[in-house]
Amino acid sequence: MLLVGANGSGKTTLARIMSTMLRADRGSLTLNGDPVEKRLIQSRRAIGFASHRPFLYMGLTPIENLEFFGRLSGLKDARARASRQLDRFGMTPFANTPVDRFSRGMLQRVALLRALQGEPSVLLLDEPYAGLDDDGTATLNAFLEEARNRGTATLVISHDRDRVAPLRPRVCAMRAGTVEDRP
Amino acid sequence: MTFLWVTLKDLRLHARDFRFLATLGLFSLSLVLILSFAFGPIFQEPAREASATLWASLFFAGILGLTRALDLESESGGGDAVRLAGADPYSVYLGKTVSSFLLLGALFCLVLPCAAVFFDVGNLAVLPQVAGVAALALIGYAAWGTLFAALARGLKARELLLSVLLFPTLIPIWIGAVKLTHSLWADGTIEPVRDWLKIMAVMDVLGLAMAAWLFEVVQEAGE
Amino acid sequence: MKTIPKWWTVTGTALWTASLALVAVSVWLVVTRAPIEQQMGVAQKIFYIHVPSAIATVIAFGLTFAASIAYLSTRNWAWDAVAVSSCEVGMVFATVVLLSGPLWARSSWNTWWTWEPRLTSFLVMWILYGGYHIVRHSVAAGSRREVSAVLGTVLIVTYPITLMSVHWWRGSLHPKNVMMTSDMRGILLVSMAAWILFYLAALQQRLRIEILREASNEADG
Repeated sequence: MLLVGANGSGKTTLARIMSTMLRADRGSLTLNGDPVEKRLIQSRRAIGFASHRPFLYMGLTPIENLEFFGRLSGLKDARARASRQLDRFGMTPFANTPVDRFSRGMLQRVALLRALQGEPSVLLLDEPYAGLDDDGTATLNAFLEEARNRGTATLVISHDRDRVAPLRPRVCAMRAGTVEDRP
Repeated sequence: MTFLWVTLKDLRLHARDFRFLATLGLFSLSLVLILSFAFGPIFQEPAREASATLWASLFFAGILGLTRALDLESESGGGDAVRLAGADPYSVYLGKTVSSFLLLGALFCLVLPCAAVFFDVGNLAVLPQVAGVAALALIGYAAWGTLFAALARGLKARELLLSVLLFPTLIPIWIGAVKLTHSLWADGTIEPVRDWLKIMAVMDVLGLAMAAWLFEVVQEAGE
Repeated sequence: MKTIPKWWTVTGTALWTASLALVAVSVWLVVTRAPIEQQMGVAQKIFYIHVPSAIATVIAFGLTFAASIAYLSTRNWAWDAVAVSSCEVGMVFATVVLLSGPLWARSSWNTWWTWEPRLTSFLVMWILYGGYHIVRHSVAAGSRREVSAVLGTVLIVTYPITLMSVHWWRGSLHPKNVMMTSDMRGILLVSMAAWILFYLAALQQRLRIEILREASNEADG
């Protein structure tokens, strides 16, 4: 699903609530029918979230960041998986460079890999194409297509409809905090 | 083994931040110097003045270390990512406590010889016991400090608030550390003040137990 | 309870009336009936406000601890309201203890202050619970209750240290037990009842503010 909307309509807030980063003032959040609070750790492992902030440790290299977060999520082969994924994104030459030296686009690639690496059942991506060149966009779309084939539920928030278009997403709009279906 | 990964991550980050480590080291040495001037040039009771200097310097330098560890979590959202990865909160706490303990231990190794030399106290025979006292004190400092630092994240003037909260809580540990170190340097034994070992151990266990109970609440309280 | 029911107001009036009346009685008893202690003289009468204030402090901070745990278990705003209200009133009584103590100390020990275990541990407790309020007002509104509840729980470590300090450490100047005549004991009991009732009245009044604040937040939200 692609979620569009004007600035300040609440798209990022919605994504942060769905990722469990933020607690909603009212209502409930369920995953596969179970309230998320009841099994918070398992729910979080099932959700991959990427947003405006990189959610990385700037003093670590991409491989160190990805291995660390992979291990926290319970992935035993975190390092090998990280290597493969960095290679797909063309990041192997930079795998051992601390990310604080990266450009915006390179940082975005690593941030996306952090969200994607555990093959979560839910993906929440807020402006994932920001800073990505054409190659990066194509690789991300390939990842998202594979995720869709695995049955992953994906929500992409983006102003850049052209880049999402190849995925043929269902489009919804957010207006003043409310999600509306838009054909 | 989650906590080991958290410790390794923290140690890597500290090791690569040479400017901060150098600043921390210089700050600790400056404190030792200032207190040496305050007590000197003729020291009335070198063993007592040296142990007071050692532990006062460690406390304030340690606050900087704890706040820096906090900063590393909040810049660019690394700490939030740890929550989002579904890591067990107590393992995260333990990992950060271990890394804080090791950082404080490194500071201790820097400050101890300086205090010993400036005040002309101590001998190698009691060094293992002094190290044991330090381990007991720094475990408590790391345990309570990591919990309070997590509470204080996002607060304005958090170094001040951390000092206001942490120092009074740690008083039993700090008094014990000063008295035990003083006794070792003055008399070569801890016998007259042995009871302080129990108090310090109880405080250490209390800190770790409180965190086991409350760290998840603290971690989630940011939002 | 999001509005102030009538029974709350009636109870508050009753508590204030009873407590102020009993305080007046206890003051009268202390001034006119309490015997003058042989060694310390008139200054010993500080005892009749110092000890009840200390008891009220212990009750207040103990309730803060219990309410904090209750909040963490239930996430009911009312427990947070009880915790912060009790802590605030407790701080007032703790300040009275710290101000009245030196007056007694000066005549008993010939010094305004000494770093003996009970005084030191009580001062540390006062600083920490003061820190509770500073932190509570510094933290973002969204996490205020959780952070306060954690602090209210953790700060209980000061309790056994303060209460048992006279027993655990040698060299404590603070008396472990006080020898009293039956008159003194009776007047002390009246004073304790008076100041504890005063604490309850103040707590109830302070809780009223929290109820109104919650009602206002609900109306805005």
